[in-house]
Amino acid sequence: MAKIIVITSGKGGVGKTTTSAAFASGLALRGYRTVVIDFDVGLRNLDLIMGCERRVVYDLINVIQGEAKLQQALIKDKRCENLYVLPTSQTRDKDALTTEGVTAVMDELRKEFDYIVCDSPAGIESGALMALYHADEAIVVTNPEVSSVRDSDRILGILAARSRRAELGEEPVKEHLLLTRYSPKRVEDGEMLSLGDVKELLRTPLLGVIPESEVILQASNQGIPAIHMENSDVAEAYKDVVARFLGEERPLRFIQPVKVGFFKRLFGG
Amino acid sequence: MVNPGTESSAPLRVAGGVFTLSILHLESNNPQQLAQRIAEEYRRHPAAADFHRHAPVVLDLSAIPEEAPLALPEILEVLRAAHWFPVGLRNAAPGHQALAQALHLPVLRGQERNAAPQPETPPPAQTVPANPGGLIIDHPIRGGQRNYARGGDLVCLAAVNAGAEIMADGNIHVYGPLRGRALAGVNGQETARIFCMSLEAELVSVAGLYRTLEPGYPLWGKAAQIYSRDEQLHITALNL
Ligand SMILES: Nc1ncnc2c1ncn2[C@@H]1O[C@H](COP(=O)(O)OP(=O)(O)O)[C@@H](O)[C@H]1O
Ligand SMILES: [Mg+2]
Repeated sequence: MAKIIVITSGKGGVGKTTTSAAFASGLALRGYRTVVIDFDVGLRNLDLIMGCERRVVYDLINVIQGEAKLQQALIKDKRCENLYVLPTSQTRDKDALTTEGVTAVMDELRKEFDYIVCDSPAGIESGALMALYHADEAIVVTNPEVSSVRDSDRILGILAARSRRAELGEEPVKEHLLLTRYSPKRVEDGEMLSLGDVKELLRTPLLGVIPESEVILQASNQGIPAIHMENSDVAEAYKDVVARFLGEERPLRFIQPVKVGFFKRLFGG
Repeated sequence: MVNPGTESSAPLRVAGGVFTLSILHLESNNPQQLAQRIAEEYRRHPAAADFHRHAPVVLDLSAIPEEAPLALPEILEVLRAAHWFPVGLRNAAPGHQALAQALHLPVLRGQERNAAPQPETPPPAQTVPANPGGLIIDHPIRGGQRNYARGGDLVCLAAVNAGAEIMADGNIHVYGPLRGRALAGVNGQETARIFCMSLEAELVSVAGLYRTLEPGYPLWGKAAQIYSRDEQLHITALNL
């Protein structure tokens, strides 16, 4: 039975799409049949981050409106054998998503895939509600700042009240906290909330910490999911996240400021 | 029937519901004085303006003598100008009830008006039954969520986060940090109290008396209780 995972946050620009691409790729690299869906109608970022924007012909909205078959809209990833992308439309508005339409798409995907990863838009309106409605598990992406933590708290409340599981009185959606854009140096300087602060405020099990890194920008400019950026901290951090999600134990990394070495200090870096 | 061709078998859906409303005790029959009192209150507690904005409110007329003339339309005007929504009257003398009916304002049943008006004595405190409407919550209450223990105590075994609101007719106990809003005795129970292990609340209220808090408050982050005495809200440390 497929598992549906929503990548959500309340706030925009925190790293949901970056995480959706990396996480879905990571699951596929582990051999799971995975599809990642863009719910951010009107913005359409996921296909860019996945590097498949030129191959978009039909999208989620076409499928929902009955203008294309699901098979026509699914784009096979060029790096991972088991991964498909279901892009969204840039020209339609959010009302094009209907509850019945999304449910029908989910039901069909469930038969084909092990994991369905839903990249949520920001906010708490209909688009975000559609993205989280079917979720079995939720990864709440949070940056170490007060406004992001507040919005994550809010979305956790909505998950507990407005998801399909909540409405049917089933076992609640399993919640995971993912702290992204974490800069240990700035935490040390008191410019950002610490990991401890965020955990204390949200009290949701931690799935991982992704450091702030320029590699993310390089990756998105090249259309490569960050998990493929060999030998980078972010790729390692996302691999740890996937491993923990699959039940493996991994110690937390990249949460201490990098000590500048003696020679580097002497000669500059 | 709108459509005589089809027979609609479903009955109209009318169901009971219970709502929490603020009760404003009218001090006099003078609308200007009311306007002035509200303005003073908002000046002293700017957060109060926000708290009451668009809040439905019931007017309690127990302090208004039967024979006093009542400029009800003007009073409603004052409330609306302050962004309150008057939704009914209670404890009104028969003459005042008739005025309300003429304005299509519901007359709600509350504690009944004393036969002889005794505005000075407060209504007798009700005794709380053994927590029949009590609510025990064992997960964090998130921003935007609201929980209400109607007719009893509310116990939260986890955090009440900023932007969350918990309400109880009885007492409130919070064993995680209390960071949101907590309102005890919302049906007027003045003996209700709030107990918390870490006071970081945005607002605390007992039986309609309330205050907002900020970091830097002396008992911030401490175990504390909040109660009302002599129409004053008291916050003291829980030194156990
Ligand atoms: N770990 C990171 N380090 C540096 N920049 C990041 C990181 N994660 C995301 N970003 C950047 O933040 C911006 C928003 O990311 P995105 O994934 O589109 O967020 P969302 O989908 O939540 O709006 C992008 O410019 C992205 O490159
Ligand atoms: Mg996005």
